[in-house]
Amino acid sequence: MNCEGQLMTQVPPAKLNPGLFKRNPPIAGEAEAIEAAKNGDPEAFSKLYSLHKRRVYTLCLRMLGNVSEAEDMTQEAFLHLFRKLGSFRGESAFSTWLHRLTVNLVLMHLRKKGLNLVSLEETINPSEEDAPKRDFGRHDPILAGSVDRVALERAVASLPPGYRMVFVLHDVEGFEHNEIATMLECSTGNSKSQLHKARLRLRELLRGNLPPQPDVAPEAAQ
Amino acid sequence: MNGTGEIDFENLKPEEFERYLPDLFATGDGKVSQDPRLKKFLDTYPDCAALVSDLETIAETARSLLEPAEDPSDKVWNNIQSKLREEAVESSPEQGKHLAGDPQSPQ
Repeated sequence: MNCEGQLMTQVPPAKLNPGLFKRNPPIAGEAEAIEAAKNGDPEAFSKLYSLHKRRVYTLCLRMLGNVSEAEDMTQEAFLHLFRKLGSFRGESAFSTWLHRLTVNLVLMHLRKKGLNLVSLEETINPSEEDAPKRDFGRHDPILAGSVDRVALERAVASLPPGYRMVFVLHDVEGFEHNEIATMLECSTGNSKSQLHKARLRLRELLRGNLPPQPDVAPEAAQ
Repeated sequence: MNGTGEIDFENLKPEEFERYLPDLFATGDGKVSQDPRLKKFLDTYPDCAALVSDLETIAETARSLLEPAEDPSDKVWNNIQSKLREEAVESSPEQGKHLAGDPQSPQ
């Protein structure tokens, strides 16, 4: 099955990715703030916002490539957090839990946005001419073992939405292919294939062989 | 998509390598360049070795992007507080005065 299907809104619960968990260590004072916020303490909720706003917003920005939408989804994520905080049982790191909650909301948002979903489907299953070109037999300069972080950020922002989604979820956020497949309702093989195409596209962008996507909002590349 | 079990590493050609590459990256720790089964192939085809090196570099650099880089504007927190107040007032007018906290941005 290909990834042309609709986006799902549920990330598998409690199926912890040890790598991701390691990348989300507990934060000092966080546990107390969570418990207090569960009891309706506004200061505690404010603290949770302060601790996690950057991570949530950056995730939204990378997935959506648009400042305005990213801010809207950040707002939605924390409102959702406020309403759902009582169901957090500490079975995973809080940041992992919040992270998954945010990914689910962004995917649901994209599904609701008919136009974005169409473009996502197009890039999830691109035509031959849209796919990254093969590199074998060419002698272009290579990346010489290093990529500037800012340049990569810009290149990621200019990826087509389907490529960007899989690349951000796997290479940046640390989700496994089987998790991505569940989220995007496609096969793991398709997730691997999309990731590979995304990396090939990034390689071309970073070497200056491809112009950035014309439909990318300017602020997304900031 | 093909699995890696069927690969004939001894007689691998670049076209086949390209087909298997997504699976090769997905197995193990994604370090295709250090796979001993591919050493001879990558030594023979430097363009394929360069491609592998570039894709590994991109994947490694991507991990550094996990570190959050940007803050949302203050508007986001103000909106959150307003929404929470509205919801609280709807459910309990007295609680609504306190639930969403001080209207100033958190530190």
